[in-house]
Amino acid sequence: MSRVSKAVAAVLVATALGLAAGPALAAKDRFVVDLVNEPSSLDPQVQWNPDSYYVYRNIFDNLVTRDDKGEIIPQVATAWKQVSDTEIEFDLRSDIAFHDGSKLTADDVVYSVKRITDPKFASPQLGQFDKITDAIALSPTKVKLVTAGPYPALLAQLVKLSIVPKAVVEAVGKDAFNLKPIGSGPYKFESWQRGVNVQLTRNDAYWGAKAPFPAVTFRAVPDAATRLANLQAGSSDLVVTLDADQAAQLKGSPKAQALIGLTERVAYVRLNTTKPPFDNPKLRLAAAHALDKQAMIDGLLGGHDKPVPELLTPAIFGWVDGIKAPEHDLAKAKALIAEAGPAAKAEIDLATAPVFDQRIVQAIQQMLTEAGFNVKIAMSDMATYLKRAQAGPETTSLLSFGRWSCACQDADGVLFPLLHKSSGWSAYRNPKMDALLEEARATLDTNKRLAAYKQVHEIVAADVPVVPLYQAVVIYGAAKNLTFQPTPNESMFINRMSWKD
Amino acid sequence: MSVAAATSVPRRKRSSPWRWWPVGIIALVVLVAILAPWLAPYDPNQQNLLGRLKPPGTVSRSFHYWLGSDELGRDLLSRVIHGARISLIVAFASVILSGVVGTTLGMIAGYRRGWVEIAVMRVVDVFLSIPAILLAIITVAVLGPGIANVIMVLALTRWPRYARIAYSQTLSVANMPYVRLAALMGASAPRVLFRHVLPNIIGAVSVVATLEFGLMILFEAGLSFLGLGVQPPTASWGAMLSTGRNYVATAWWVATLPGACLFVLVLAVNLTGDAVRDRLDPRHR
Amino acid sequence: MPGFLLRRLGQALVTILGVVTLIFFVQRLTGDPTYLLVPETATQADIAALRHQLGFDRPLAVQYFDFLGELVRFDLGQSVVQRVPVTTIIASRLPYTLMLAAGALIVACGIGMPIGILLAIFRNSPAAKAAAGFVLAAQSMPTFWSGILMILVFSVLLGWLPPSSTGDLSHLVMPSFALGLLSMATFARITRSALLDELSKNYVRTARSRGVRSGRLLIRHLARNASIPVITVAALEISNLLAGAVIVETVFAWPGLGQVTVQAILARDFMIVQGVVLLGAFVTVLLNLLSDLLYSLVDPRIVLEGAR
Repeated sequence: MSRVSKAVAAVLVATALGLAAGPALAAKDRFVVDLVNEPSSLDPQVQWNPDSYYVYRNIFDNLVTRDDKGEIIPQVATAWKQVSDTEIEFDLRSDIAFHDGSKLTADDVVYSVKRITDPKFASPQLGQFDKITDAIALSPTKVKLVTAGPYPALLAQLVKLSIVPKAVVEAVGKDAFNLKPIGSGPYKFESWQRGVNVQLTRNDAYWGAKAPFPAVTFRAVPDAATRLANLQAGSSDLVVTLDADQAAQLKGSPKAQALIGLTERVAYVRLNTTKPPFDNPKLRLAAAHALDKQAMIDGLLGGHDKPVPELLTPAIFGWVDGIKAPEHDLAKAKALIAEAGPAAKAEIDLATAPVFDQRIVQAIQQMLTEAGFNVKIAMSDMATYLKRAQAGPETTSLLSFGRWSCACQDADGVLFPLLHKSSGWSAYRNPKMDALLEEARATLDTNKRLAAYKQVHEIVAADVPVVPLYQAVVIYGAAKNLTFQPTPNESMFINRMSWKD
Repeated sequence: MSVAAATSVPRRKRSSPWRWWPVGIIALVVLVAILAPWLAPYDPNQQNLLGRLKPPGTVSRSFHYWLGSDELGRDLLSRVIHGARISLIVAFASVILSGVVGTTLGMIAGYRRGWVEIAVMRVVDVFLSIPAILLAIITVAVLGPGIANVIMVLALTRWPRYARIAYSQTLSVANMPYVRLAALMGASAPRVLFRHVLPNIIGAVSVVATLEFGLMILFEAGLSFLGLGVQPPTASWGAMLSTGRNYVATAWWVATLPGACLFVLVLAVNLTGDAVRDRLDPRHR
Repeated sequence: MPGFLLRRLGQALVTILGVVTLIFFVQRLTGDPTYLLVPETATQADIAALRHQLGFDRPLAVQYFDFLGELVRFDLGQSVVQRVPVTTIIASRLPYTLMLAAGALIVACGIGMPIGILLAIFRNSPAAKAAAGFVLAAQSMPTFWSGILMILVFSVLLGWLPPSSTGDLSHLVMPSFALGLLSMATFARITRSALLDELSKNYVRTARSRGVRSGRLLIRHLARNASIPVITVAALEISNLLAGAVIVETVFAWPGLGQVTVQAILARDFMIVQGVVLLGAFVTVLLNLLSDLLYSLVDPRIVLEGAR
């Protein structure tokens, strides 16, 4: 896309969003959102967790963003140009003001980049941005970013780079900014009654699509059953993180509806290919044949999720159509296991954590058991699960269920960590795979990347280091009056919602 | 027996067979738990994804769901039967473990006094100063879920309750003239403790134990609710109830059956506890 | 007496040090929060770097003495997740915990103790039996079940009460009952058995045979003697209510200390857990000290340890 057409697209999108939101400026004064936990912090650069993300993304603008379909579109940057393999220049909007009235300029963008990439700042998100080695303000509306080598996922990562006001952060310091964040987004921070709620008020001077509600309250409601009850009782307008069975309960509800959207998140079972029984490729294949993805989806997930033959979802760059994965075939699985003899009977631990859908985990266990494996579920709390999942093939579990999202919609954020030998998550050792993954992350040529990823998918299908299961949906519960299209990256921009009384 | 029965029964209706119903319930649950593999019509973990959340009486594929099916199409009757086993094992084991350890230490502390008393009671204070549920969650997070771990965690967090009650009761009893007399007449400390002190304090301890027994069943359920109970797919009443509660509005049977069993058992245990107390406590004879 | 008090205070300090030490080391047995803080795509090097920045790569002994050093300066440290001082977090949650504890105690004592007295005095009346059944039934249900049933009935179905979270006093009703009903049985039991104990004693029989009226007897003698076990239990219950209302707070999204502590345990946010447990220990030790003192005041037969 040329720079001009990018700019045109920006205007079009802004207009479209504005139109969608325009007539909806209705009688809803305060919009109440139930999250699972309260945000850990509203400084966009010092944490990484979804409950914070839901809130602060409405306070801050990002360099670029994604539309509801998942395409990268302008936000603070109106256009960009790759000037060399390692340099990219961004033109910035000149009409953006922070909530304190000061103008957003190239200095703020440079400051935001440098702040989050400073190792001393210790941002948990550092790994998403540390390929950026320098940021230079060329003019008040022009910024150049320099990367260490060609970095194809740069734009995808910049979707998450919130721009903070340099002057304010430097003046008040990190701790005070965390308590009273100032951004340039469609909502202004109003108050944070710790533990109780976060309140935002509409930024009426916002440069883009105005938000439909004058005020928004975010509350923490950890129990999903309570979130559902809140919605049905009318005490909240939008709740996050429901499952398909809970969505089904909303079907007959007079007040509430379920909003369901496919995401970039992929569910998978990872096999430890370095230890028996799964050091035997035939037994890995047997596991793949034993798992009936469609039955999981139709039986347990309400039919919303989509089976995938590769370790990506169609919402991610790197998705290749027409990959043939091992079909569900119980007889074949049994035959392969019989062929392997007693080695297949070893006890296999299937690691999981309470946050995952236990129905799916138990179904996986059942399906593998039916085929002839001896699988035990090993549930531990999330901290222990993560530690063990990333401990490397020596100490990690034989099987591990997970749902992966890099929140970047780029294959490099999924395939590299799960399959490359340098990553703690990977329990697979295959030099060819490593070479392909390295090749795909070292070039900006999308065709070359796709070709490499196609080969990766084929290896995954044939050698089964992981069994990709399905493209997960995100399910929100919402008041009937709300219109909101869930996005693949599970972001929740309130200025893209509308309300009808 | 109930608080009510405890007060009425020993005096008037001593012969009424009805006063035994809580004991009968417990006996029944124990029996069901022991005979679970023979009583359960199906494998409690056998799933049937096409027969999820079916109401009682449904027939689906090879299953006849007398009490309905759960969120994975498993037979609820079979799971309730097997769940009795897990819930009872967890409660019995943790009460006995914590009771024996706690009572022994408490009695020794109360009788020997001196540095033993100080050491034991300081440790008791340390444990009692941490809310039991939090200590349980912290240790389960360390050990990981699972039946054995849950039992250990519950015993570890609950023994100080027994120690404290045994200690304070022993303090009272040890000063009674006849206990002093026994000691003066040369009875060894273990003999004094078990012959003279224990009978006097066993009432208080057993009341705590029965209260705890019910509580342990509830604790296990609570840990399951937080995802830290027994490992899936193991059926315990607490675990079944905590998943079933998500379906209260659409499939009431999933939570109601294990919930009712759990409720009745805990109630029966508590009722029996009162009766035990009245029997054991010499002052109530 | 001053010697006894000093000694007791010393013991209290030892207890608190014990609590803090236990919690410090037990928590760290499963590693640190770093894995939970980073995105899934973080490399092992990223994780190691963050761990270093947060100081979790230092030897445990060093971290422990650092922590003790901060503690004696009354610094509870910072939450690694929220990046604000632990005192700020505790201060924001404490009022809600106190409100809930008060509400639950009112329910528990207000219903439990009268029922206990009823049970002890009118042993065979049908009303007493019904009350006993009610008390025990209320205690036999897991709160995560009774809680959601209450929400579904009183909020979703009838619309009488707000389903969860905070606001005016009506938000406090359901959580208080859910929590209080559990302790109610405890109070009824203890009140009853303490009264029964006293009723069976010789002085009561003597007084009765002399024609002293029950009401007078109850107030003059029984209440005093029977209060010992009730006080002990109440002290233990208060500390339980303070941070133990974990499940009720989770179900009703009540922002008390219990909820934040469980989240902190699962998030390995050590400083919050240490802060809350320390606070709880302080309160408990204090209450135990008071109940010991009361013991010796109301029952002179007990010679206090250390007072000999």
